[in-house]
Amino acid sequence: MTRLARVVFAVWVVCLVALVGSALAQDSEPVVSVSDDAVLDVAKSLYCPVCPNEPLDTCQTLACVNWREDIRTQLAQGRSKDEIIADFVARYGERASAIPLDPGLRALSTVTPYVLAVLALGAAVLLITRWRRAGAAPAAQSTTAAASPAGDLDRYRAMLEEDLKR
Amino acid sequence: MLAEIGYISLALSFAAAVFGAAASLYGARRKQAMWIDSGRNAALLTFPLLLVSTLALLVGLMTQDYQISYVWAVTNPTTPMFYRVTALWGSQQGSLLFWNLLMAGFAFVALLANWKLNPRLMPYFTVYSMLTLAFFIGLVLFLENPFERYWIIPGADGVGEVVQAQFAPANAVAPEAARLAETARGLNPLLRHFGMIIHPPMLYLGFVGFLVPFAFAMAALASNDLSTNWIKATRRWTLVAWLFLSLGLLLGGRWAYDVLGWGGYWGWDPVENAAFIPWLVGTAFLHSVMIQEKRGMLKVWNMFLVIFTFSSVIFGTFATRSGLIDSVHSFARSEIGAPMFFFWAGVTIVSVALIVVRWSQGALKSEHGFAGVLSRESLFVLNNVVFVALALAIFWGSFGAPIITEMVTGTDITLGPDYFYTVTVPLFIAMYILMGIAPLSAWGAVSARSLGRSILVPVGVTLAAVVLIALTGVNDPGALFGYGVVLLAAFVAGYEIVRGARARARAAGEHPLLAAVSIFTRNRRRYGGFIIHLGITVIGIGVIGSTLFQQETQRTLAIGESLQFSGYELRLDSMEYGQIADDGRQMDIANLTLKRDDEVLTTLRPRHDVFPAAADQQPMVMNIPSAYGTLENDYYVLLVGVQPSGAVTFKVYVNPLINLVWWGGLVLIAGTLIASWPTGQKAEARQRVANAVAVQRGQVTV
Amino acid sequence: MDELERIQQQVMNPGAALADAPAKPRLSPGMITLLIGIASVVLVVGIAFVRSQQTQPSDGRAPDFSVTTFDGETVTLSELRGRIVVINFWASWCGPCRAEAPALEAVWRNYADDGVVVLGVAYADDADDSRAFIAEYGLTYPNASDIGTTISKDLYHIQGVPETFIIDQNGDVAQFIYAGVTEQQLTTVIESLLNGGGLS
Repeated sequence: MTRLARVVFAVWVVCLVALVGSALAQDSEPVVSVSDDAVLDVAKSLYCPVCPNEPLDTCQTLACVNWREDIRTQLAQGRSKDEIIADFVARYGERASAIPLDPGLRALSTVTPYVLAVLALGAAVLLITRWRRAGAAPAAQSTTAAASPAGDLDRYRAMLEEDLKR
Repeated sequence: MLAEIGYISLALSFAAAVFGAAASLYGARRKQAMWIDSGRNAALLTFPLLLVSTLALLVGLMTQDYQISYVWAVTNPTTPMFYRVTALWGSQQGSLLFWNLLMAGFAFVALLANWKLNPRLMPYFTVYSMLTLAFFIGLVLFLENPFERYWIIPGADGVGEVVQAQFAPANAVAPEAARLAETARGLNPLLRHFGMIIHPPMLYLGFVGFLVPFAFAMAALASNDLSTNWIKATRRWTLVAWLFLSLGLLLGGRWAYDVLGWGGYWGWDPVENAAFIPWLVGTAFLHSVMIQEKRGMLKVWNMFLVIFTFSSVIFGTFATRSGLIDSVHSFARSEIGAPMFFFWAGVTIVSVALIVVRWSQGALKSEHGFAGVLSRESLFVLNNVVFVALALAIFWGSFGAPIITEMVTGTDITLGPDYFYTVTVPLFIAMYILMGIAPLSAWGAVSARSLGRSILVPVGVTLAAVVLIALTGVNDPGALFGYGVVLLAAFVAGYEIVRGARARARAAGEHPLLAAVSIFTRNRRRYGGFIIHLGITVIGIGVIGSTLFQQETQRTLAIGESLQFSGYELRLDSMEYGQIADDGRQMDIANLTLKRDDEVLTTLRPRHDVFPAAADQQPMVMNIPSAYGTLENDYYVLLVGVQPSGAVTFKVYVNPLINLVWWGGLVLIAGTLIASWPTGQKAEARQRVANAVAVQRGQVTV
Repeated sequence: MDELERIQQQVMNPGAALADAPAKPRLSPGMITLLIGIASVVLVVGIAFVRSQQTQPSDGRAPDFSVTTFDGETVTLSELRGRIVVINFWASWCGPCRAEAPALEAVWRNYADDGVVVLGVAYADDADDSRAFIAEYGLTYPNASDIGTTISKDLYHIQGVPETFIIDQNGDVAQFIYAGVTEQQLTTVIESLLNGGGLS
């Protein structure tokens, strides 16, 4: 087994352990101690409500430590990640979540870039079709050159030279 | 004395910049060589004057002249000499002065290097570069003066009033040196790192470097000399600025990874993004400028790209230094926000207006008409779509969406890494695909058949490589696809270099190795570009590995205990509490042994640093990670905290392939150096003559 | 020179449209969209910048709000018109807030009979932590959680905690105190307001 395979295998084992662990955690009631990893997994999707743009899992202030303990308590009470995030947003506002929970705001933020990209692509397609239509005469020239019976390398050289002319 | 020297030469440099702009403008309009020369000389003078000013501040920092407010604010008697120097850019005022020095330096070199070559452009180049410089010098001179000193005006009751002023107010006396030294603040602990020594200068060089292409573009518009002259004068400068910006971004990532202690190198923070946007727009320009050079197309668009590269630099600076957005990296809110906003808006609006004027005069019309769908022109246009869309998506996530949401609904929102991965990953995939196809295409018309034939080999190699990766156990389809796309781009870049060398070897009858060297010396830009592509692909593989397969855990260990994670064993051997470093920080250090398969790999020493605070400040805390790096991965350990029981909590990250990001960065830099290294003018001319002769004889000049 | 270049270009590119009469191209829809886009980005950023510079109100009408205290009562600022109100933003995780809590309690006890209201607003604080804090310092004045940080961030633009606003009988901000407060500081302002004098 290569090292990479070992890494992948390890990931798999960790996932499995986590899965079994969480399944067990579901069974045995509140006494379970919630692991740091479970807490940080939730904290990763949250931002510290009082810091300048800092994720809650890495923030080191006392307030953040308290909030992470709060997540632990909520997890121990059996609340899910989504419920905890919703709770934080209700208490501290949308800025506490790494992505807006409000469906309207979420759609606005995630869809707009795609709209912009499609617009840019549309403009480019328009430009390229205009170029294509622009002149058929020089096109015929080039195609004949490209279809010359010379070997691959010669054609490549011709192209390269054309490239380097200016 | 130092403060006066610094302040007066700063004021003189402002006067020189203003005069340089005015005289050049007058001379260019009236066609009076005397005024043009005079303007140039004034412009050249700004650099030495700013150098004197900066040196004065530097000497002040090194000689601990705490009466100077800036020196008092960023150093104290325990600051090592090394950090006294770097404190020059440790805070707003000094860093702005330093920014000005670099900007003047760029203008200085560009003026000297291009004066004779571009007589029509240079007067206007002087106008625009000096106006920009004058604005930034003005910021330092009037709003953020680092040379102000502390004075005490003795009161009647024996209690003096402390004032901050450049020149001694009436009756004022200098404060006692010992008292000043005692209260001095010291450098922000976050900035005490090797990366912080080079990261800001590189980033600033990248930022201010784009002044040169911008000023050339504006000069071309203003002088109506819209031939390829400005492009020729600009492209190497763009590459130089791009090189520094790339270096700045890479070093910033490295610094975050080594010091900030969150296991990653890119947090999609607005300030990081603000530096990335000019890089993206600049990269779009570096590509589309080739279309203009070879085919005379896209002239308007290239103008837009140059102007928006610079505009985004100014915007980023404005956003970072004005309090527009909240970020871990932002400077304290200050008075320069409003002027910076107006400057940014002015630069953007005036330059766009100039483009529209020239365009409506028909001066920016394309020369060539035709280009096939698969031609390199078309693929480069798509490349521009990708880069611009990336810049827009990142701008939207960092500024657009939060600002508009706040404005319309009054809600503050945060967009974290998940948002950026969702919107940028498809675009990055498109970028790598284009990187794999475009180099194989040609200008003008390209048939699908010929393109298909040349892509056959790289695609074959890529598929083989992907199968090989799958055999090693990677079975995530997304990762395999990602690796495939990136590898295709890498193989195409490699394939192009090999094909070029073979063609040259065949035509010139050279040994293949010699031919490989000579294609690089003859066509630096083309083959340097392919090396850059290789670097970007190496970075891409590192990013995929370290993002998709990163693992992390947090555990608490008592002394002697170990944790098993990801095939490694980590044992806590001992703790060293309360170590005092020579800069006054208090360190708690953990000694850990890292083992794999019962074999000891290394000792790791993550630290928890506390910096004692000045009277009215909070003490600063930092967790400095320790990592064991191999090509396969980094085993990265953070000391999170000590529990009341005495057990210690650690956070461990395993970051696969992360070192490829840095190695790829080095390749990228090497490629950029190859592509942008100045060719002696004589050598260039000789080469051109040789080429012409060879072409006439029907020889190959590959 | 220009003429020469143009002729050269015509010779080199017979197909190009350059030979056409220099008719002014009109702005294409794409160009217009781009220009409008640029103008609106500049405008939006400008407005956002002006708004980002908004700071804590230090005079004029105090922004009105309504909160439910930990004891379940609803307090509306505008309904307290005619009384002096000390609004204190705090959090259990904030060090200086601990230092000033006794001062606020003392003022509340001393001046309750004069109609002075002390109102604590917990900023970005866990409700249980807040209650523990209130119990620890034996605070008897009304305290409430700022749900969603709307009062502290959107209305009063606080930069951190603690920050304190003293509202006069007319509902105007009489004094804004950026850092922790002392009993002395509060007493001075309240006495002056009670004696009918504004702050000079």
